[in-house]
Amino acid sequence: DRTAGRWRRDWDGKVSEIKKKIQSILPGGAWNPLYDTSHLPPEHSDVVIVGGGVLGLSVAYWLKKLEKRRGAIRVLVVERDHTYSQASTVLSIGGIHQQFSVPENIQLSLFSASFLRNINEYLAVVDAPPLDLQFNPLGYLLLASEKGAATMESNVRVQRQEGAKVCLMSPEQLRNKFPWINTEGVALASYGMENEGWFDPWCLLQGLRRKVQSMGVLFCQGEVTRFVSSSNHMKTTSGTEVTLKRIYEVHVKMDHSLEYQPVECAIVINAAGAWSGQVAELAGIGKGPPGTLQGTRLPVEPRKRYVYLWHCPQGPGLEAPLVTDISGAYFRREGLGNNYLGGLSPEEEPDPGNLEVDYGFFQDKVWPPLAQRVPAFETLKVRSAWAGYNDYNTFDQNGVVGPHPLVVNMYFAAGFSGHGLQQAPGVGRAVAEMVLEGHFQTIDLSPFLFSRFYLGEKIQEQVII
Amino acid sequence: MLKIIVPTIMLFPVTWYSNNSKIWINTTSYSLLISFMGLSFLNQPNNNSNNFSMNFFSDPLSSPLLILTMWLLPLMIMASQYHLKKEPWLRKKSYLSMLISLQMFLVMTFTANELILFYILFEATLIPTLIIITRWGNQTERLNAGLYFLFYTLIGSLPLLVALIHLQNSMGSLNLLTMNFWLKELPNSWSSNLLWMACIMAFMVKMPLYGFHLWLPKAHVEAPIAGSMVLAAVLLKLGGYGMMRITIILDPTTKAMAYPFLMLCLWGMIMTSSICLRQTDLKSLIAYSSVSHMALVIVAILIQTPWSFMGATALMIAHGLTSSMLFCLANSNYERIHSRTMLLARGLQTLLPLMATWWLLASLTNLALPPSINLIGELFVMMASFSWSNISIILMGLNMLITALYSLYMLITTQRGKPTFHTHNLNPSFTRENTLMSMHMLPLLFLTLNPKTILGPTL
Repeated sequence: DRTAGRWRRDWDGKVSEIKKKIQSILPGGAWNPLYDTSHLPPEHSDVVIVGGGVLGLSVAYWLKKLEKRRGAIRVLVVERDHTYSQASTVLSIGGIHQQFSVPENIQLSLFSASFLRNINEYLAVVDAPPLDLQFNPLGYLLLASEKGAATMESNVRVQRQEGAKVCLMSPEQLRNKFPWINTEGVALASYGMENEGWFDPWCLLQGLRRKVQSMGVLFCQGEVTRFVSSSNHMKTTSGTEVTLKRIYEVHVKMDHSLEYQPVECAIVINAAGAWSGQVAELAGIGKGPPGTLQGTRLPVEPRKRYVYLWHCPQGPGLEAPLVTDISGAYFRREGLGNNYLGGLSPEEEPDPGNLEVDYGFFQDKVWPPLAQRVPAFETLKVRSAWAGYNDYNTFDQNGVVGPHPLVVNMYFAAGFSGHGLQQAPGVGRAVAEMVLEGHFQTIDLSPFLFSRFYLGEKIQEQVII
Repeated sequence: MLKIIVPTIMLFPVTWYSNNSKIWINTTSYSLLISFMGLSFLNQPNNNSNNFSMNFFSDPLSSPLLILTMWLLPLMIMASQYHLKKEPWLRKKSYLSMLISLQMFLVMTFTANELILFYILFEATLIPTLIIITRWGNQTERLNAGLYFLFYTLIGSLPLLVALIHLQNSMGSLNLLTMNFWLKELPNSWSSNLLWMACIMAFMVKMPLYGFHLWLPKAHVEAPIAGSMVLAAVLLKLGGYGMMRITIILDPTTKAMAYPFLMLCLWGMIMTSSICLRQTDLKSLIAYSSVSHMALVIVAILIQTPWSFMGATALMIAHGLTSSMLFCLANSNYERIHSRTMLLARGLQTLLPLMATWWLLASLTNLALPPSINLIGELFVMMASFSWSNISIILMGLNMLITALYSLYMLITTQRGKPTFHTHNLNPSFTRENTLMSMHMLPLLFLTLNPKTILGPTL
């Protein structure tokens, strides 16, 4: 009796295997008669995007959207971890604001805000439910002391010029609008009135994934371990010799196995987030005498940032924006149950080897300034916390977009140091325009090109102290 | 004929016993010498045939195709050098052996005296081509492509075998020389309709006719460059050649049976040209353009007038050279950029100007620019089809327009425009590539001066 049951189970297994084999042989499938290759990426793809977070998916989306004929470009997104357990996208607090000092950043955020507002037109998939981003348009409130007030004023002027709706508030107006704030030490505050707030990054990621898969982009779970490239020694117009490389094969290694698939490609897009520096090193960027273009690395490293979730029943009400204190500590409301999220950029960088949370940091460094700014926070209770990576650009804390001058077919979309999520739609479009047209068409991100690391041209945000 | 067949067979020892570093130069130069020897076939006295032996003969129809086949072998070998660079010696020699055996079968096919011999060699050419496509193709889809290629052609040609054996029984001999004098017409019955279908279907699938063309884009796109070249230039012409030979004995049945196929061709010509306008893959575009040109040849052969046969022969030779050249150009793009998508290889005129010249010439001959032989072929076919039915000129004219549209679209997308960042370090054109292109173009241009060599048996 038991043997009969086992026989039937074996038979069912065999039948499903035969069915799978027949399906793979039928026209339209990639058929390898020797073994099952359905988990491997295809042997050839026009564009390989390393990294499946919000930036990588945004580039894939815009590549497919801006191609002039349907099905023109074959795109493959290689993502190491399909659970996104360490990806910066899903561990971020999901804020979007236009209160930057670099005009391009403001333009990118404005475009992202309009993208998110119309997300169900951009990312509509037939027969799928519409996305609910849970966008809370409550704005950002940046506080400045006497020292930083002049910077804040000039920043707000630039923001207003670009079209962001930001207003300056005096301490008196602050007290009137937000009675729970203690305005001691605050000289000026800038408050974003429109297109600022926070949203659910996981929902954006899933929406992008769904849409991008419906547009025909292939996904593969694997790690990029090697770039095979060919070099050409050429001479520039001024006679200096330069070696240009082209990556023509990407080795994608499968999880928990030695199996890898060489994918022949024409273009590689580095959107690996916190690990973009490592991926760039694989391509040979930065291997050369320091001070030369060959020796200029991609200066993106992972930095750990903590986010704490606490409960405070007497805290600020539903209209509280995301408040950034003079000390750098920030908090925002989370949900409707008197919970708040917040954190602080640490001066001493914690070890980015793991994502363990240091609760002592909250006690020592985050709570005191928050409690001073919002007296109601003196009686809070930490519920939980998590840590996430920030793809920190050690050069000027702004993103890298565009092609590398020496590795001619690697494009970057990384290093946004904490504001990658909010700029992802704009950056994705810019990179897609660069690939398909050859120049930036809508937002000119030429200050963000890689060559600024070699030329030493920093585009730094004017930080408000 | 032995003066061609024996040297071709001897190319096998040349590849296998040559010094490893010399296999390319040896095979290329010896195959070039063989093709020069074959030029003597063009001397056709009195529009009659040259009978070399009891088994082989050549004819003003078969000699241009024969010379095209022999001319193509050195070109195929030159084109394959780059993608075989990294393979071990044994595999390189096997690849060359496949090409040489294919050449041998093709030479014998075009000169076969007897239809059963022709059929055996016709089927035999499938085997080296299948091996080239499935073993040395670029992607996983090549297995699928090989399957489509093999089974479409086999299923089409199995009825041909049955029909040929029946004809052998009823006529006594299937010798092409005596078939010209066969006076008995096919009786007007269903069985002769079936016989007609059986004889013609093999060649229709090979040409390919619009309804049975599914194997062609797959096989062309997945094949390596030499496979694509020989497929486009010669193997498709086997179908045309076979049809021209066999319609001699199928006489009055053709007048009635050809109608559906003529309709399919005229319609398919426009359909495949329109598909070309929407293609994003370069090789796929050239493959569909082959289908469109071959549809013209089928129309010409089914109309069966002297002018249409002249047009068909001229078009076969012209298309062979043009299509093969376009595939070589697409391959030179692919070797540099590692992608066949047209969008990713823009603005090449500024980077590779000489290659842009070859692109321009190939596109111009593809769209049948006067005074090239492409135009002569198309013009003769158009005139014959106009005399067969006045309305067909609308369709033919539309086809010429759309052909011009997609040829120019291909030229402008790849050559004009702003070059992209990832084309910064393209290797400049190799001499080997320039030689390859010029060896395709020069015969085409020279034939413009003396087209009567390729105008076939009804001149």
